Amino acid sequence: MAVNDKSPAVQGKAEVPENSAPPASADPSKAVLKTSRRDFLRGGGMLSLSSLMGTAALMSHSSDARAAIEWAEHFQKNYRLMTPEEKNEARIRLEKRYSAEYGKTVTVDTTEAQPGVLMGYALNVRKCIGCRRCVKACVAENNQTRGTRPGERIEWIQVLRMERGEFSKEKMDHGYPEGLGIQVGGNAYTPAGQVLEGQYHYEPEAVPEKDATYMPIACMQCEKPPCVKVCPVRTTYREADGPVVIDYNWCIGCRMCMGACPYWARRINVANPVLPKEEMNPVTHYLGNRPRMRGVVEKCHWCLQRTRQGRYPACVEVCPVGARKFGNLLDPESEVSLILARKNVFRLKAELNTFPKFFYFYD
Amino acid sequence: MNKLATYTLVLAFCVGAYYAAVAAEKTTEPAKEEAAQAAPAEAAKEPVVCFESRKGASEITQREIQPGWPNVKCSPTTGAALWYGDPFDGTVPMGKMPLLDKIPEGHALVKPRSEKLAILPMCGTACHNGVGPAFSPPKLPKDKKAVPIPTMEGLLPEVKDLQHGRGRIWCLDCHHTTQRNKLVDHYGDPISFDQPQLLCGKCHGDKLRDWRDGIHGKRIGEWASTGKKRWFTCTECHNPHNVQDGARNKGFVQLQPEPPPQLPMGMKDGKHEKLHPIAH
Ligand code: HEC
Ligand code: HEC
Ligand code: HEC
Repeated sequence: MAVNDKSPAVQGKAEVPENSAPPASADPSKAVLKTSRRDFLRGGGMLSLSSLMGTAALMSHSSDARAAIEWAEHFQKNYRLMTPEEKNEARIRLEKRYSAEYGKTVTVDTTEAQPGVLMGYALNVRKCIGCRRCVKACVAENNQTRGTRPGERIEWIQVLRMERGEFSKEKMDHGYPEGLGIQVGGNAYTPAGQVLEGQYHYEPEAVPEKDATYMPIACMQCEKPPCVKVCPVRTTYREADGPVVIDYNWCIGCRMCMGACPYWARRINVANPVLPKEEMNPVTHYLGNRPRMRGVVEKCHWCLQRTRQGRYPACVEVCPVGARKFGNLLDPESEVSLILARKNVFRLKAELNTFPKFFYFYD
Repeated sequence: MNKLATYTLVLAFCVGAYYAAVAAEKTTEPAKEEAAQAAPAEAAKEPVVCFESRKGASEITQREIQPGWPNVKCSPTTGAALWYGDPFDGTVPMGKMPLLDKIPEGHALVKPRSEKLAILPMCGTACHNGVGPAFSPPKLPKDKKAVPIPTMEGLLPEVKDLQHGRGRIWCLDCHHTTQRNKLVDHYGDPISFDQPQLLCGKCHGDKLRDWRDGIHGKRIGEWASTGKKRWFTCTECHNPHNVQDGARNKGFVQLQPEPPPQLPMGMKDGKHEKLHPIAH
């Protein structure tokens, strides 16, 4: 069982004088933690109760080997606070469990953020045709649940269909106070293109439709992520190379992050995930696409299992119009840097000061 | 099926030609047809074929690279390529390209277009072979209006009504006058069909620059700016004979979309999305 005293965070705390406040860091070993989640729970007198309940549940319905693995998992530390050895143990444990469960060799990568890399994304809204290939590619890559019953189907990317602008002569003098109404312009309430008032369930025979534009939305990987601020167990956090990730093992399913996210990017597994063996992608990352369990939240992480190995995210690769662009914001030659330098760019809901690293652009 | 018909038609035209290249073509053609006829017998093993950006012009056949690891995963609904097991499958080096010389050797790859063009192998041999009175010297319409040739239009119906340039460009602004298996640059020098960017770039310089920087078009593989990438060439997305079409609002041909997300619990359709939340 992991002991807190060994963790880098606690060592860091010992070195830093209590009242000097160093700048916040994405690297937890440099962060100053006043209380860990474990202390927090202990303070509330909850540790024994919750752990015992979980353990009892585990022991009662599993074979011994599996129970041993799950036991170890249950008492594992927050991923960010694990030592490299502990991460490796967790990796081996998970690889064993997933390989047995899915009947093939499953790898769980634990590659860390590389120095000099800050991932960024750009999407050309003018090109998007609303075909949803990115949505399906994401599911093929990231092991989301794909059952048929309610709550068994999760997709991280949503494509919003928006009606093109429409102003009519007939409505010009409508909208003056009628009854108790407040005065509005006669053409208020008619679609005007770029407003977030769209449809997700559109189903035409062919896209792009003449009277519509499309806007895909997924996690914006904010530099100041509201979801991270609200997470009571600090299981979701921003990695040094940019993506906001989730340690699924520590997620308690409280959904605070879902409420905090202004971009509707987070999904919860309300049902037991349905992931057929033959469709399961065996190349996974601990903080990325490894299979999730019921009761945890998940979202886009820019295909960490690919991008940490140098490969483009799955959605970028399948977009038939080439609207999706990914690269290193610190490299002036990367495609995203060139887009930021040359094109007209905007961030969604920039007024919320979330500072997304996902940019929309048009040419 | 359309392609097969084209093949057979072309085959018929080739019979009259004496060139060795054509003879070689003939020996391979019957083999292909036999294979196609044998296919329905073992329908279960019929390979999955899906398309990338242009339906009918960017097909990939699914196969296993390693056990349980396909080169590509395809959408059961639309037949679109949805996931790449190997982004470099079937690629060759792009060849020299102005201003792309900083890319390390072997890191810029393309899928050769010529492999996808069914008629191309015959163009310069069967018909535009330089033999006959029309070729010495070549007789070309001075007004640059293509003379309708029924054989040509039969082979490739889309050239009947060229939808590119709004009537201001014609075949030989793009195709080489005497070497019909080549495209042509501003100097009249031939360009390979595998490097259409050199052709398109002569008129669409702004798009070529964006393409070179990875902003227009698409690259897959490694995201680092010096990484190994497969570049999509212009004609993998654009049909040069049909880039403008009044029926659509974009320069890209319409596609069937993938199915929509799961409906919210208890809802039968997505009609609620069309209602404005505030009463008018
Ligand atoms: C804007 C430049 C352009 C113009 C104008 C143009 N073509 Fe093409 N043509 C191309 C390119 C590029 C290709 C290769 C297409 C590909 O890679 O899919 C091609 C391919 C072809 C092919 C081979 C198709 C196949 O499937 O094998 C034929 C035949 C052809 N063109 C005939 C014509 C005729 C006839 C005209 C005039 C009516 C014409 N083209 C006008 C650029 C052009
Ligand atoms: C000889 C010059 C020339 C060449 C070569 C050429 N184009 Fe064009 N292209 C034009 C002209 C002219 C237009 C029409 C612009 C207009 O009036 O809207 C056009 C229009 C287009 C459009 C549609 C623009 C729109 O939004 O309506 C696309 C897409 C396009 N070209 C792609 C290509 C591609 C791909 C190639 C290479 C295979 C190519 N062009 C080669 C001259 C050329
Ligand atoms: C991955 C697919 C893809 C590739 C590769 C690609 N294009 Fe495009 N191109 C598009 C799409 C999508 C549009 C947008 C159509 C629209 O909005 O009307 C477009 C638009 C254009 C236009 C119309 C101008 C405009 O802004 O609408 C031109 C010209 C053009 N492309 C030329 C090229 C040339 C030249 C190349 C090769 C160097 C190329 N394209 C490669 C997908 C592609």
